[in-house]
Amino acid sequence: MPATHSTVAAARRRRANPAATVLACLLMLALGVLPVIARSSYDWGLPQGMPEPVVPPDNPMSDEKVQLGRHLFYDRRLSRDGSIACASCHQQERAFADPRRLPSGVDGQPGERNAMSLANVAYLPVLTWSNPMITSLEVQALIPLFGEHPVEMGMSGREQQLFEGLRTDPVYQRLFPLAFPEEARAGDARLYSLASLTRALASFQRSLISFDSPYDRYRYRGQSDAISVSARRGEALFFSERTECYHCHGGFNFTDNLVHRRQPLAETGFHNTGLYDLDARGTYPAGQTGLAAFTGARSDMGRFRTPSLRNVSVTAPYMHDGSIADLRAVIREHYAKAGRSANSAGRPSPLRSELMVGFELEAGELDDLIAFLSALTDERFLNDPRHADPWKKP
Amino acid sequence: MKTFNRLCAALWLACASWPASVHANETQTVEIRFTAEINGQPFACGRQYGPVGASASTILPTDYRMFVSEAQLIARDGRRVPIHLTEDKLFQFENIALLDFEDGSGPCRNGTPAVNTSIRGHVPKGDYLGLSFVIGVPFARNHGDPTLAPAPLSSTAMFWTWQGGYKFIRFDTGLAGSDAKPAAGHAPDAGHAATGFSIHLGSTRCASAARTQAPSACLDGNRMAIQFDQFDVARHQVVVDVGAVLAESDLTRNTPKTSPGCMSFPGDPECIPVMRRLGLAYDGAPPGEQRLITRR
Repeated sequence: MPATHSTVAAARRRRANPAATVLACLLMLALGVLPVIARSSYDWGLPQGMPEPVVPPDNPMSDEKVQLGRHLFYDRRLSRDGSIACASCHQQERAFADPRRLPSGVDGQPGERNAMSLANVAYLPVLTWSNPMITSLEVQALIPLFGEHPVEMGMSGREQQLFEGLRTDPVYQRLFPLAFPEEARAGDARLYSLASLTRALASFQRSLISFDSPYDRYRYRGQSDAISVSARRGEALFFSERTECYHCHGGFNFTDNLVHRRQPLAETGFHNTGLYDLDARGTYPAGQTGLAAFTGARSDMGRFRTPSLRNVSVTAPYMHDGSIADLRAVIREHYAKAGRSANSAGRPSPLRSELMVGFELEAGELDDLIAFLSALTDERFLNDPRHADPWKKP
Repeated sequence: MKTFNRLCAALWLACASWPASVHANETQTVEIRFTAEINGQPFACGRQYGPVGASASTILPTDYRMFVSEAQLIARDGRRVPIHLTEDKLFQFENIALLDFEDGSGPCRNGTPAVNTSIRGHVPKGDYLGLSFVIGVPFARNHGDPTLAPAPLSSTAMFWTWQGGYKFIRFDTGLAGSDAKPAAGHAPDAGHAATGFSIHLGSTRCASAARTQAPSACLDGNRMAIQFDQFDVARHQVVVDVGAVLAESDLTRNTPKTSPGCMSFPGDPECIPVMRRLGLAYDGAPPGEQRLITRR
């Protein structure tokens, strides 16, 4: 794993050289201010002007945690039968989304949601398609690892086995203490724990920053020729009152779910787009009731969290259940019709978002919208070796 | 491990009944014993039970655990006196105890070798007649960060992450075979054939008004309050019998697109008889008499 070695070694070189730094670090450790230092020393690699994400106070970013999390993210031993890693459903070339409609767990049990892209997940105040209570990646990781309905990685009740496997692996014997020095001093039980496992996984996912699409170069860095003329027409359409796309897919992350250092009060958005309406009352299929499953409110039926549109042209299929295969169909057969189910029950769903207005596209306009959405693809992100499988032999 | 636990329990009882130990301070030790059964038969991993449920199925259980909290003795004058649990970094924390009836053997392979069939602590010396406790984890402890929680709240098998909190009861079983024909009026393929049945009790619909904050309440707390006005700690034990909860259930079928068995989520037909027999209101249906817990 040359990439891993060099990155970790570089991180150590950067930090550990002058004896004065070591002394200062020791002093700060004694004063208990190390987390503050660790937070400010991590380089997010953000372009000029982009705000830093907010991280939980008990899990500041570090290169060492990102490295450990990356190894865990790609490690199939995190599943009961060694068949599934996080990366099985979150594939880098798909912007860490899943090309399958629905995933399947270790038991072959089908999942219930299309796996979402993890690009810029650090800016999301609420995770998953519909659960308003999952607000940190640390806790979210428990769902695929230990969830039982559906079973995904199938590790429920097997955490001791899992920790034992990590504790006896020479790679992790090196990475865990680097990432969690304080826990390492407290002993193996603290070091190889749910707390460190989930914090490392979260740190790696937060490092998945994608701001280098042609549209970023065009919009934020003044390269007027970075996107095509067609994409520029698509941009105007996207941000028009005619299509209303931007009301939900707005801001630099193209979603109305956003939190960052300059906007610490989280903005969240869950919407019913009229994808389903089984009974002219707006009912969604069983098991797909969205936010209503958690609030119990009828008015929350079918409301799902707005996904980011960054890299959207590589994250097919679309919607919470992966029920639309390609972007053209998403626009033509769903949004242009003010919701796929708009007339399935004779009249529009009473629960459909008021921003679902429907629109007619003239010749070429669909191509323009697709060109704009394709300009949101960050090829460097999809191929960045820092995000790639560290276990793969070259 | 089991032998070790029994030895510990025996030692504990010996201490508990040693008058000198209560002399020094004005407290007395208490141990409330629990026993898990299925239709009156003692529970053991690897053992088959039948007939169980309306389907008269033969079952092979794979897990049997539950959280008990807020245990109190009821004094002669009616006062409720909390049992101060002895924290052991394993099964007891604050006023919460995990009862773990499985020993990780055979079909219980997702379990742990250690078992725990009692709650242990002390109360001020006094004259106590009754017992009350809650099956569940108190709200204040149910919605913290499970990755940082101390044992027994660190057990991933009891995580209820998707809804937030913990499973209060976890009973899982496979079907060894069903002796009964499908109920009249149902074609064999009317529901989806089930290969097992689970009872996972936990709080549901816990979202808070502000969506990114920890929940402030759950619409369905699903905690079971148990009380025995007459409970002699030295003589009685608490019997947990899931067979009585399953009595009206057809264990051979599961409604498509719902959890296997009953996992407390609203809208699951398999939950209707189960929740009624746990003494809990469910999805608009009133609670029945709870059948899980009795005294012997």
